[in-house]
Amino acid sequence: MASEEAALFSLEQVTLRRGGTLLLDQVTCQMPAGACTAVTGLSGAGKTTLLRLLNRLEEPDAGRVCLDGRALADLDVLALRRQVALVAQAPVLLTGQVLDELRAGQPDLGAQDAASLLEQVSLPAAMLARGTAGLSGGEAQRLCLARALAAGPRVLLLDEPTSALDAVSTHAVEQAAKSFIAAGGSVVLVSHDTGQTRRIASQVLALRDGHITPVKEPP
Amino acid sequence: MNPAVPTWAGVAASLALVAVAVAIAWRQRLHLAREIVLAAARAGAQLAAVGAILLIVFQHAGLAGAAGWLAIMVLIAGQVAARRARGLPQALPVATAAIAAAAAATMGTLLALGVISTQARVVIPVGGMIVSGAMAATAVTLTRLREEAAAARPAIEARLCLGLPADRAFAPHLHAALRTALIPAIDSTKTVGLISLPGAMTGLILAGVSPLTAIRYQIVVMYMLLAAAALAALTAARLAGHTLFDDAHRLRPLPAPAGKDQR
Repeated sequence: MASEEAALFSLEQVTLRRGGTLLLDQVTCQMPAGACTAVTGLSGAGKTTLLRLLNRLEEPDAGRVCLDGRALADLDVLALRRQVALVAQAPVLLTGQVLDELRAGQPDLGAQDAASLLEQVSLPAAMLARGTAGLSGGEAQRLCLARALAAGPRVLLLDEPTSALDAVSTHAVEQAAKSFIAAGGSVVLVSHDTGQTRRIASQVLALRDGHITPVKEPP
Repeated sequence: MNPAVPTWAGVAASLALVAVAVAIAWRQRLHLAREIVLAAARAGAQLAAVGAILLIVFQHAGLAGAAGWLAIMVLIAGQVAARRARGLPQALPVATAAIAAAAAATMGTLLALGVISTQARVVIPVGGMIVSGAMAATAVTLTRLREEAAAARPAIEARLCLGLPADRAFAPHLHAALRTALIPAIDSTKTVGLISLPGAMTGLILAGVSPLTAIRYQIVVMYMLLAAAALAALTAARLAGHTLFDDAHRLRPLPAPAGKDQR
């Protein structure tokens, strides 16, 4: 396990029950800063719910989740979500134009910065003037990732970000995640793709029957 | 003025029309004859009771009694609108508060400006129209809000994940619900007189008032119904917008959107 000092997120005796199912049973674990932690497990094991705990879209029934040693419940939730950006499994576009999409959470975002965000996810800057209706699934997912990066977060929560994407888009998303970590950011990735977790993650946590087992330790 | 109102003998004679409906049901073997008779009897009894109570209120209760009567109407209307929005958190207090706010503001304006008299015989029917219009707008607003919130959860949560506060994350859906709720009031205001002769105007004309006098009342009625619908819808949307989210700007769990509204 990562040392206490280096822990970005720490879960302390976290219990979470949803719809009569015990998803997390007094889970204690840490996720290091400046690295990628992957969470694996069967469908319905609670991986997405665990991710949603980290930006307070969910609240634990017992125990606490900390960021940099401070309980999430004590932090300003809106500031937390700008620092800890979540990209959902299925892309959800909110506007009709690519530039507007990037400005959905950052209305003051300049065109230059918007173009740079597209580059980070391997999309052409010329796409800024396009509508969002004609985007492919891969382009839409990469646009959602760029939109999440617009606020300048320090943590990315990626929920099966490439499960429905082709090889080109998958590679672009993985490259964006690696660049984000190289620039000092941290990633928590939920993925079924063992090849992907091997390529990106320095720590892999397996979630099963409400318990978390580390299957790959950080260096 | 010589109001052309039917006498009690005339009312009894109109039972012949009920007999026509019963005869049709009987001849066509619809098994509805008994239900038609009961419905007609019930309508007569209910209206007679309301008429008697209104007579007492008009003669003895004054403005305070009329206000009490309207308060009861608001409570009942709140229940009806809240039933439509089942599954929405705090639906009953939200619906009741929205209808009460719309009724108080609209009625208060009409009374303060001296547009209508403070007599109970005026305040109660006019207030009834206002409460009814506010109830319809509130029910549509809350139903649409519940459906929007349940169906658009991924989009709402995507906005929350960008760090937007709950009110901004929900704003597009709130505006859509408000537009839907106000369309009927706007449409009936646009087409009044062309497609239908509305109730207040019809009543005055039947009572022998000149059509040019009757339309003055109807114009006021249409304007007040528009205001009541807008105020009720806005208040309901604002209050429900708050109850849909918790303190951590999370959309509360809602029943899955159904194909059709439950009856």
